[in-house]
Parts: sequence; C-alpha cells; structure tokens
Amino acid sequence: MPSLRSQNRLMFWRIVRRLLGANRGRLFVILLALGAGAAVTAALLNLEVDANRRIAAEFRAFGANTIVAPRGGEFVAPSDRTLSEGLLNRIPRNYEGAFVSANPFLYVVADVSTGALRPVKAVVVGSSAMGVVNSIAPKRKFNGGPMIWDGTNCVVGSAVSSRLRLSGTPLLRLTLGSKEINCRAIARLSTGSAEDNEVFANLKDVQTLAASPGRVSLIQLLVPGKPAAIDRYIAELKANIPDVDVRPIRQFTEGEAKIYGRISGLLTATVAVVLLLTGLCVMAAMTNVAMERKNDVGLMKAIGGATRRVLRLFLAEAALLGLAGGLIGSAAGILLSIWLGKQVFGEAAQPRLIVYPVAVALTMIVAILSAYPLRRLASIRPASVFRGEA
Amino acid sequence: MFLRLVADSFTRRPRRKVLTAAALSLGMTVVTAALSVSLDVGDRLAREFRSLGANLVVTPQADSLPLEIGGVDYRPVNAGAYLPEADLPKIKTVFWHNNIVGFAPVLELSVKGMSHFRDDEKGLPENRMSWPQVSLIGTWANHPVQLADQTTWNTGINKTNPWWHLMKGRWFEDNALECVVGKNLARKRGAFQDGQRIFAGLAIADNFVIDRGPSSPPIFLKAVGILDSGGSEDDAVIVPIAIAQQFANERGQYRKLYVSALTKPEDDFARRDPKTMKPDELERWSCSPYISSIAYSIKQVLPGTDVRVIRRVAEGEGNILTHVRALLWMVTFAALLAAALAVGASAAASVIERRMEIGLMKALGAGSGTVGFLLAAEQLLLAFVGGGIGYSLGTNLARLVGQKVFGVKPEPSLLVLVVVLALAAGVTFLGSAIPLRRASRYEPAPILRGE
Repeated sequence: MPSLRSQNRLMFWRIVRRLLGANRGRLFVILLALGAGAAVTAALLNLEVDANRRIAAEFRAFGANTIVAPRGGEFVAPSDRTLSEGLLNRIPRNYEGAFVSANPFLYVVADVSTGALRPVKAVVVGSSAMGVVNSIAPKRKFNGGPMIWDGTNCVVGSAVSSRLRLSGTPLLRLTLGSKEINCRAIARLSTGSAEDNEVFANLKDVQTLAASPGRVSLIQLLVPGKPAAIDRYIAELKANIPDVDVRPIRQFTEGEAKIYGRISGLLTATVAVVLLLTGLCVMAAMTNVAMERKNDVGLMKAIGGATRRVLRLFLAEAALLGLAGGLIGSAAGILLSIWLGKQVFGEAAQPRLIVYPVAVALTMIVAILSAYPLRRLASIRPASVFRGEA
Repeated sequence: MFLRLVADSFTRRPRRKVLTAAALSLGMTVVTAALSVSLDVGDRLAREFRSLGANLVVTPQADSLPLEIGGVDYRPVNAGAYLPEADLPKIKTVFWHNNIVGFAPVLELSVKGMSHFRDDEKGLPENRMSWPQVSLIGTWANHPVQLADQTTWNTGINKTNPWWHLMKGRWFEDNALECVVGKNLARKRGAFQDGQRIFAGLAIADNFVIDRGPSSPPIFLKAVGILDSGGSEDDAVIVPIAIAQQFANERGQYRKLYVSALTKPEDDFARRDPKTMKPDELERWSCSPYISSIAYSIKQVLPGTDVRVIRRVAEGEGNILTHVRALLWMVTFAALLAAALAVGASAAASVIERRMEIGLMKALGAGSGTVGFLLAAEQLLLAFVGGGIGYSLGTNLARLVGQKVFGVKPEPSLLVLVVVLALAAGVTFLGSAIPLRRASRYEPAPILRGE
C-alpha cells in the first residue's frame, strides 16, 4: 500500500511538472502578472514602513522645536533672565534611540564695529557652530562657504552685515561697557527672521562680554521623532527639571503634527488602495488564464480523475506559481523600494525582512484564490468539453 | 462582416470578455486613483503647510537694527522706520494675489499698564510710575480688506500665526477699545509691591488700563479673550493696531508685516537672481509661484520695503513637499507598472487561448493582417470599455481618499481620463501583440489538428 501511495504522489508531482512546462508562453505570462503584483506589494510595504519614519525625520529641516528657558518672573525683562549652563547636563540626549541636539544660547545687546564706521548696536548671540547649524539653519549653506567655526570666528546676520558694509572676512570688535571681544566674521547668515539682525559668536566669549560666566539665556532642543514622541519627551523633561520653563515651539510642533498626520494618512490610504486593487487585478488576470484549463480538466475527468484530485492538481500548480512569482517578484520589489528610497530621500530604504515572507504569502494566496474558480469546472461533463461546447 | 465577427466574439463568450475587462478596469482604477491623488496632492499639502504660518516678512528698508531678545524689541519707540498701513490692500493686487492666504501688520511697543476690574479709575494705584511695563502688540484680528472687485476679504493675525489659539473668549473688534490677553498675564497671581497688589491678572471682562502720562486720563481696554501662543506673546497684550499706533504716536503706521502665501517648492532656477535673467526667463520665473517671485512682486507694490523670505518655514516646507510629492509619484509609477503588467498578461492570455480560432480563420483564407486587425479591434474595444469603467471607479476612489485625508475632494481631471484610456489601449495592444505575432506565423493545419 505505501508504495502505491508514494507512486501516486510521484505521479501527482509529475503531472504538475508537465502542467507547468507544457506552455512556456503561458508560464511566462503568469509569472509576469504574479511577479509584478508581488514586486509592487513588497516595494510598497517596505516603503510604507520606512517612509513614515523618514518623513518624521524630514521635519528636522525646520530646526529646533523645543525651548528650555528660565521661568518668567514678574515683569522681568527677558534679557535679564538666565539659566545655569550646567542645566545642559540634565537634559537627556538620547531619547527612544534617537539623538536629541541641545544647544545653549546667550543673548546680549552690544556695540559692534569694524573700526571704520560708527559702531552699531546689535544683539550678540553666544553659541556654538553646532548650535547655529542644528537649531537655526539646518541643511543650509552659509554665504561664504561651509561653516568652519572655531572659538575666534563669528557669523554675522545679513542685516548687520549690510549695515556695517562688511566684505570679506573682517575683524569685528564687540563692546559692552568696559568689556571687549574680537572675532573674525567668516560667514553671513540670512534666515528672514530675527537671526538676520544678530551676530553669532563663541559662547564663552559672549559670557565674558556680558560678565555672566556660566550663564545662558535659553537652550534650544531639536527633538527628533514623530509628533507624539516629541510631546512625551517634553512632558518627561518638564517633570525632571521642574524649575525651568520647557515649551515646544508651537509654530513647528503643531504644524508638524498636523502635516505629518496628513502625509502619513495619505500614504497609507494610497498604498492600501493600490495594494488591494493590484491584488484584484492580478486575480482577474490569473482567473482568465486558469479558465483556459477547461480542456485539461475535461480530459482528466474523462480518464477517471476524481474531481477533488483534479482540483488539487490545479491548486498545487497555482500555489507553486504563486511561490515562484512571489519569490522573484518580492525580491525585485525590495530592490525597487531600496532604489525608490534612494531617489526620494537621498538614502536607501532599509529592507525590512518581515516584508519578504508577507509579500510572498500574499502572492500565493492571490494565486490560489484565482485558480479557485476551476472548482466550478467540477460540474462540467467531459464529453461536452471535448465537443467544444460550454 | 467585420463588425459581426467582433460582436459575435463578445456575445459568444461573455464570461471571458468580462474577466478580461474586469482585469483591465481594476488595473485602470488603480492608475486613475493613484494619478488623481498625485496630481492633486501638491496643492493640498501646500495649503496644509500654511498651518506653519507666514513665510514672508516685510520690514522698512531704512530700518535700524531691531534689538530683539525673547520677542521683546529693546529699541526706543522713536528709533527705526515705519510703513503706511493704507498701502496694504495693494498686496491683493499683485499677480499672485490668489496665492496670498493672509497678511497682518504688527506694531509692538512697551507701555505702563495695570489690570483693573472696574470701568472707572476708582481703586487704581495712584502712583502710575510704579505700574509695570507690559508689551503691547498692535495688529489686525479679523480685518476686512476692500479688494479691487468691490468685495471684501478678511485677514488677520490668526491667518499668519495659526498656532495662536484663544483659550477663552473671542478676538477684539478692529475699532473697539478691546484687547486680548496673553495667558501668562491672565493667570491670577499676586505680586506685592509696597504693600499693594499690582497686576492681579486679567480675566475676561476686566480692564487693561494704560497710562498716558500724568496730564491725560488713562485708557481702558476691555479684555475679551485669552491667548495661548506658546511663545513670548503669552506675556503681552494684543490690541487693535489703531490703539498701538496711538501710543507710538505713529498714526496709520506699522513696523512689520507678515504674509502667508501658497508657493511652489524652490528649485535651482527659482534661486537665481531675477536681475541676471533673460526676458523670457524672467517671464517664466515671475509666472511660477516661487516664494522669491511672490516676494519680488510684493516689493514692487510696497515701495521702501524689504521683503524677506522666512527661510526656516519656506525651506523646510519646500524640502518636505518635494519629497512627499516624489514619493507619491513613485507609488503611482509602481501602481502603473503592476497594473500594466497584469493587464498585459490578461490580454496575452486571451489571445493565446484563441489560437484555434485564428487557425480556422486562416484556413478559411484570412490573411495575417486581417486576423491581427480583427483581434486588435476587439482588444481596443475592450480597453476603452475597461478604461472607462476604471476611470469612473478610480475617480470615486480618489475622491474618497481625498475626502478622508484632506476633507476636500479632488476635481476629476480630463488629463487623467486621456492618460488612462491611452494607457489601457497601449497595454492591451502590447500585451496582445506578442502572442499575435507568434500566431501569425502558425500554420493553420497543425493548430486545427490540436497540436
């Protein structure tokens, strides 16, 4: 008995092999349809997982989104309120696996001059090169080349620069009362906001100028991540450092939350619609192909195949085709999504391994479902098929 | 005879035709939906990005350097230049006036003021010199602007700073003695000075009393709303601009203007200096709603001003918009490819299956051309029907997505219909062409024998 069963099985797979190999053109067409479906499924799933994270990261282009400032006293001028620089050590820099950039700023009004013209009163900001780049002007080139900023250089806002008629990299003298510091203006900064009217210099120097060593006016944070994560970070920071004012820059956090919601909703909706329709489309195409097997079913029934066994044959064929199409197509799709990610975001999307089996499984399901209408062929009488009816 | 053959093929095997048409229309639904969403999304998202507020700021050209720290300008009131408020309606006459979503002039100054629960001076601290300094922001709340076509259009600070929320109450009327109070000033708190409670907190219906010097009686402004801005404005009192002008002694003047405009993300072309462009380039540049060309056209109607792009908003927006758009086009492209391949496969299958018929026709004396033409006509007919159904389904689907995500339905576009029909025809044609070519090489006899 066992030998008969194994022979049966051998025969079963032999027929399946023949069914697959019988018509090369047909095989190619089916693999093309299934492979295309699998490729799009894998590419979109991979891109969708990756893009939501990536879009949240895009919002970093807006710069700092959170401010840590001294708690507002009763009608104390903002210029007189300061924080201890040591507070920086109490701000967690690593949040949910991402780096939080925190940069101190000290503001003071001082006289700025080149020696040639009358000095101009301007806001002098003590900061670091990283502070200006991360918080104020991310992803931006400075007028005057890439910013290489060590302790003795400063960056001048465009309005200050035009007022002082600066050209090249002149030496600036910043004076406040009896204190004086010098720095070389190596770059110009044009932001369209308050920074245009400011001079950015080294924090230590400005602290000396203002005679307030170790003090800063505020700390700007760039908290990465999705809007919900930013809210959580702010809430935690508020609880950890109760004696200061921690507030989101509402213009950006609120706008971000709204826009992020829209974009990710749009992407999810589009991907869902495309996936569903692609599945249906492939299924319709496959059913079209499967209907062609009517003659084969008729023949098999005529020589004594039981309906269930015949059906199993064709489902096995469909599953194999789905597997092959899925394996090839999904691999192509993941490569496609890596390439697409590179085109859109400038860096390749990370392939998610989970996407591969999911896409292959979906393809197999679509293939099997589309062969299922053959079930209806069970009611066909072999004779009428051979006569060319129905 | 030709038409009869085509009609016959449809009536004889309806199920097969329905399946092919279903594959076609589903594929074209995907294409239509994805295309409609992608075409529409740029404008929709650009509008969403206006929730970041103003992206242009207008200041006087001859202005002194603002000394702003923590949102407070430390320049004396008489320093710096001002701009006439009466010129502002001109902004809505520039070429891009439809892209200008809102604008609001701002005049800030610092005054001595007190909160008071009565409508008269009774109970106010006598020594007005001891009153605290409070910053006053004069602006428009909901200001009607007369347009050239005799209609009015409302704009104000809530359009340029949409993250300003009223916690309570309403905005002030433009010409009333009313004010909106920053939430930190509204908070009930007591500070005692010389045994006297100063600035007890301004609740709605309290008065904000501003000192006008020893010789004139103070001005009473009724608090009608409480502002939550999340920024330095929480420590200020927002008033109609006319009141701020009165205290600054600059009637009909403002110091800073915020403009919020719908723009197209900047590319390399947009960043070029308009002065170096050739005439045709300048025309193309000024006919694209780049932020720089809108700034340029505003500068031309408001003489003596500097119109600057708020880079942080404009560039962040540009970056994200460009990327999201590219992403959606990629999704559309992928959908298009998959639909095309699946539909092509379906078309190919339906031709392969009809080898028998082709053999018979050739045996009866039809040339390869006639047979090809007949099948192509059938497929094209199918493509147009499938494409049409797909288009209407897809448009509805795109509307559904648009409604869900943005609350606005995208307009059906004729362009999409043309693209979809052309694509459907092209794909079915290509899908059938390969098997048809092979079929034309068949000898009728072996096919008819079933080999």
